[in-house]
Amino acid sequence: MSEQQPTLRIEGVTKRFGEFTAVDSLSLTVRAGRIFGLLGPNGAGKTTTIRMIVGITRPDEGTLELFGQPVTPELQNRIGYLPEERGLYKRMRVGDQLKFFAELKGFSGRAADEALDRWFEKVKLSDWKRRKASELSKGMQQKVQFIAAVLHDPDLLILDEPFSGLDPVNVELLKDLVLELKEAGKTIIFSTHQMEVAERVCDDICLVNRSRKVLSGSIREVKSGFGRNAVALRFEGDDGVLEDTRLVASVERHSDDLEALLAPGADAQELLGRLLAAGARVSRFELVEPSLHDIFIEKVGGE
Amino acid sequence: MTKFRAVVKREYVQRVRSRMFVIVTVGAPLMFALFTVVPILIANIKTGGPTRVAVVDESGRMFARVRDSLKSAQPARDDDDDEAPAAAQGAMNQNTRARMEQAAKAAAQSFEVEEVPAGGGTPEEVRARLDGRVGRDELNGYLVLPRDVLSGGEVQFYTRNVGDVFTRGQVRGAVVRAVRDARLDERGVNAEVMRAVNQPVRMKTAKAGGGGETDRGQGFFLVFGAGFVIYLTILMYGQVVLGAVIEEKETRIAEILFSSIRPFTLMTGKLVGVSLVALTQFAIWGLALVGLGAYFAGRGASVAIPQVSLGVYACVVLFFLMGYFIYATLYALVGSMVTTSQEGGQLGMPIILLLVVGFYLAFPVIRSPNSSFAVWVSLVPFFAPITMLIRIVSQEPPAWQIALSLGLGFATVAAMLWLAGRVYRVGMLMYGKRATIPEVLKWMRQP
Repeated sequence: MSEQQPTLRIEGVTKRFGEFTAVDSLSLTVRAGRIFGLLGPNGAGKTTTIRMIVGITRPDEGTLELFGQPVTPELQNRIGYLPEERGLYKRMRVGDQLKFFAELKGFSGRAADEALDRWFEKVKLSDWKRRKASELSKGMQQKVQFIAAVLHDPDLLILDEPFSGLDPVNVELLKDLVLELKEAGKTIIFSTHQMEVAERVCDDICLVNRSRKVLSGSIREVKSGFGRNAVALRFEGDDGVLEDTRLVASVERHSDDLEALLAPGADAQELLGRLLAAGARVSRFELVEPSLHDIFIEKVGGE
Repeated sequence: MTKFRAVVKREYVQRVRSRMFVIVTVGAPLMFALFTVVPILIANIKTGGPTRVAVVDESGRMFARVRDSLKSAQPARDDDDDEAPAAAQGAMNQNTRARMEQAAKAAAQSFEVEEVPAGGGTPEEVRARLDGRVGRDELNGYLVLPRDVLSGGEVQFYTRNVGDVFTRGQVRGAVVRAVRDARLDERGVNAEVMRAVNQPVRMKTAKAGGGGETDRGQGFFLVFGAGFVIYLTILMYGQVVLGAVIEEKETRIAEILFSSIRPFTLMTGKLVGVSLVALTQFAIWGLALVGLGAYFAGRGASVAIPQVSLGVYACVVLFFLMGYFIYATLYALVGSMVTTSQEGGQLGMPIILLLVVGFYLAFPVIRSPNSSFAVWVSLVPFFAPITMLIRIVSQEPPAWQIALSLGLGFATVAAMLWLAGRVYRVGMLMYGKRATIPEVLKWMRQP
């Protein structure tokens, strides 16, 4: 897998449903071997974008390139897809239906059987292979659906809200499996509106809102480019310095410390110097990066 | 193509393995048997031994004849008065009647006959005594032959069970034979002549130009049965397709499937898979029928195995497939429009109506298979599967009409598949609400 070639390149893609524009001239690039977070509130156009990537629908405008080629039905076999809205055949044995899903991806025979056993083992469902889906609990079904997405060893894995409804133990289990796949060189697109999860697993993100891209880049870039500097503070003494609006934009008080949002252009060092000069006893002074959650709220909630 | 095969295989294996398939495959013929054979068997159940009949012979000279006639009891043939002309009722009726007679023959009961002197009191006293014995179950019934029995006097048969048509028929047959013989004897006709006169007249119906092969209505029975089975099977498997499509939509499996396979391939794969299930069922039924026929033939029973040409069987399969694909495709279309099975049932009603109309059109076509009405109806793809089959068996229509009907039918199948595919593609991913007709029309126009 070449590092230079992006797994997915989307250029100016637009998708309309009648009057409604679900995706508006979206461009993004997903680099190979990375975990890419497609983030945004409900109805932002995430699922529509994903449907175009996996070849369920076609864009009205713009181009989509997978593995350096225009999207074709053949390329679908190299994608694994766990949709947000997902289900299983209730009356079919889970092992049989997973083999069926793999067969639809052009993966069958002995290799498929072996891969199936391996995955069942990994998610600790080996005893359930011959059971019907209706006998499985919801969490088990979700793990089976996850296997359906990865069984055929896809180069690109697209997970739409993979952890919703799972208990913490299984969230950890699936998260580790996802990271394992990344280690193995797979590219993963991860769509969610749970920012805490995204923050922990994603390398790159793209935030979409109201059909448009709001920001994108690696998590590092996004955070530093966010232009927001906050300081977590705990001190005893005069807090008059915090009233200076040239230095501090706003203050958020917690139980025993506070978070001060620096004014644009202000320097944290200056704040510390002024506090010390005022005779304050500082027990905590920490530059805080904005969390994805904060960025999300600011970019999406503010509009 | 391998994906198409995977869909077909899943659809086929899952359904053939299902309990439902076994139940229908075994249950349907059982039900059929239950409704045809069992009533006859039940009607024939004879409790106790021979039928005991007393005869009060007021004429004084008929007892011996009636007794002998009863002892050599033959099934009743009421053909000269009771029965309506059979022709109007069509061959089905003849068939039923033949079955009834056969059953009656099988149940030919023996009679114990005793004479009760008419002089033992007034007729009322004699009857009262006999009524008493019937009441005590010493007798099953008694006959009163009036003095003028030979010149048209009415014979009375009193029996415990007036509804027992078999006994009644046999008694009646015996009395009729005895009285006729006595009348002829009285006029000096000898026994030889009598036997010659009484020789039954047999008639056989064969298709004109059919090369003299005998066809005692089995061909007709076959096509009517086939028509009915086709009608039911299309209905049943249409519903299967509807259920399958709704399942994939309801559970959102469609989303996963569409990311792996083209919707049209998926839809046609499902249709073909289910059609193979139906054909498997037909094959099992067909083999069972042939097997049973051979078994009974081996035991000397005369079982009518329909003698129809291979061409007709081929037509049955072809027209079934055509009907199945037309209606099942409609069901697939409906399934992709709705969100729940209930909605599917409602929206599917017009389809059932269409099928029922096709089934009832069979009756006028049976009456006059070559009328222009029949010709037109058998060319309409939605009705052809049943109506054209009936024409083929009853009065072979010109080959070009069969070919045209098939051509039109399969062209319709192709068009329906194309249209349904366009709706399916969009409808399967539309959750939350039932699609409206304008929406569906828009999807059909979308590239």
